[in-house]
Amino acid sequence: MFALADCNNFFASCERVFRPDLIGKPVIVLSNNDGCAIARSNEAKALGIKMGDPFFKIRRLVEEHHIAVFSGNMALYGDMSRRVRWVLEEFAPSIEVYSIDEAFLDLRGLLVEDLDSYAKEISRRCQKDTGIPVSVGIAPTKTLAKIASKLCKQYPKLRGGCYMHRPQDIEKVLRKYPIEEVWGIGRKSSRKLHNRGVWTAWDFTQMDESRVRMLFGVTGLRTWLELKGTPCIQFEDSLEAKQSICVSRSFSSEIYDRNELTQQIANFANDLTHKLRKQNSLCAELVVFAYTNRFKEEAPQAYHSTLVHFSNPTHEYRPLIATAVQALNEIYRAGYGYKKAGVIATKLMDAQDQLPSLFEDPQHTERDHKLSAVLDELQRTYGRSSIRMATQGDGQIKNTCENQSPHYSTRWEDLPTVKIG
Amino acid sequence: MEKLQPYAIDDSSSWEGLLVGDVKAGFPSPADDIREKLDLIQLLVKHKASTFFFRVSGVSMVDAAMDEGDILIVDRSLDPYNGCKAICFIDGEYTVKHVEILEQQVRLLPANEHNHQYQPIVVEPEQDFLIWGIVTYVIKKM
Repeated sequence: MFALADCNNFFASCERVFRPDLIGKPVIVLSNNDGCAIARSNEAKALGIKMGDPFFKIRRLVEEHHIAVFSGNMALYGDMSRRVRWVLEEFAPSIEVYSIDEAFLDLRGLLVEDLDSYAKEISRRCQKDTGIPVSVGIAPTKTLAKIASKLCKQYPKLRGGCYMHRPQDIEKVLRKYPIEEVWGIGRKSSRKLHNRGVWTAWDFTQMDESRVRMLFGVTGLRTWLELKGTPCIQFEDSLEAKQSICVSRSFSSEIYDRNELTQQIANFANDLTHKLRKQNSLCAELVVFAYTNRFKEEAPQAYHSTLVHFSNPTHEYRPLIATAVQALNEIYRAGYGYKKAGVIATKLMDAQDQLPSLFEDPQHTERDHKLSAVLDELQRTYGRSSIRMATQGDGQIKNTCENQSPHYSTRWEDLPTVKIG
Repeated sequence: MEKLQPYAIDDSSSWEGLLVGDVKAGFPSPADDIREKLDLIQLLVKHKASTFFFRVSGVSMVDAAMDEGDILIVDRSLDPYNGCKAICFIDGEYTVKHVEILEQQVRLLPANEHNHQYQPIVVEPEQDFLIWGIVTYVIKKM
């Protein structure tokens, strides 16, 4: 059995953990530069705010209904995501972090009598320990577990957890489940299926195996089998040897200056992106690290590193370089002489498997995509150093984030305050 | 902060002066195997997923246990027990309360016993406040 734990309205829920006054009220979170809505509480959804709505379009609605608006606070969301992961790790021998707000749990070999209670208990613990509401679906395959977790969101009486395994139950659910919402079925495939009169997940399972293979290849067949209860999507826990790419460098003399180190990291990220693109991989996690010279014993020593998840795996230059620089800013400490630094891309996936993104402004994604193509072309023609991002310091990556909440759980200056009463 | 794991190396190309290689470099130090040290986090944070920090502010009266500027270590995973100090969210703000669990009811008393401006609150279901977490340690600058 597999479980999928999916955080409900994750970014909005993170904001509410520290703002209990917003429980039951509409909350939205905006993308970079306050462009568009990327997370909505249920109340905001009910008011008709759609994923990706540009802010200017919904401004009136926001004012009219006193919707709480936040600029994305990735430090907070990353920290809360880690906490949820730590809770989940207590419930399964291995977990696969799929995105910032989703993780699969491998329950094979686990002796649990009542998996329905187990699902509810996982959800209860996540909520209690971290404050984040989490929907936990348990089913024979990863694809079905995803569907089971969706059910928990639809039906509050499931108390956040649901075990879906009896064939008749699965059939009942799949008959109502729109095919385009099935994990692994992209927009193009859904169109093809709609054209053939396939509207629900159940319709799809009733198709002929050879026809599925012909129309959608091995990937489609995998989804077809998974919906029929045969697990065939690999479980990728973090213990497995991962394909990864590292670009790092030892400096001839120690670097103390933040800007200088930033430039180095930006260059590493540029080269890393190039390598990713060459092998057509997307990167889901980026590690940035910086070490002092440990042979200079009299100098202060530091081994700083940090890991960033991409909710949408990428191989575009701009997001990768910007993220690497941002991550460096998080770990950089003045007064240390950094001798070695680098970036590592892990959790690589095939670019062909990319799903359309829900969380990002499609216009931005498109712009990044075009920019990358131009950079590739220029670097190919004029050499790698011919053109670079202008990451010459902090100024370049600053975002407008007018309504960003404090970094409650990751910055000492930002701790929530409490009075003694 | 994540620990670095050893990763596979991509050596498909290299650039002048750019080393593509393992994260670790140089000779191992003989002290590398000895990891004994005192770790404050280990002492103060029993459940890392559910432990958060709060800062005390706006204290008008000096209290023996908690003062302006102190950092409270708060564990969400614990259930309130008789005599504990809890972070409560009441009337739109966080307040530390002393929890009293009696046979028939649970009461929130002022955490500062010299403070008489707050009445005890009887905890009942369907109320407009919540117990956010339990205070486990106070970090105080002397």
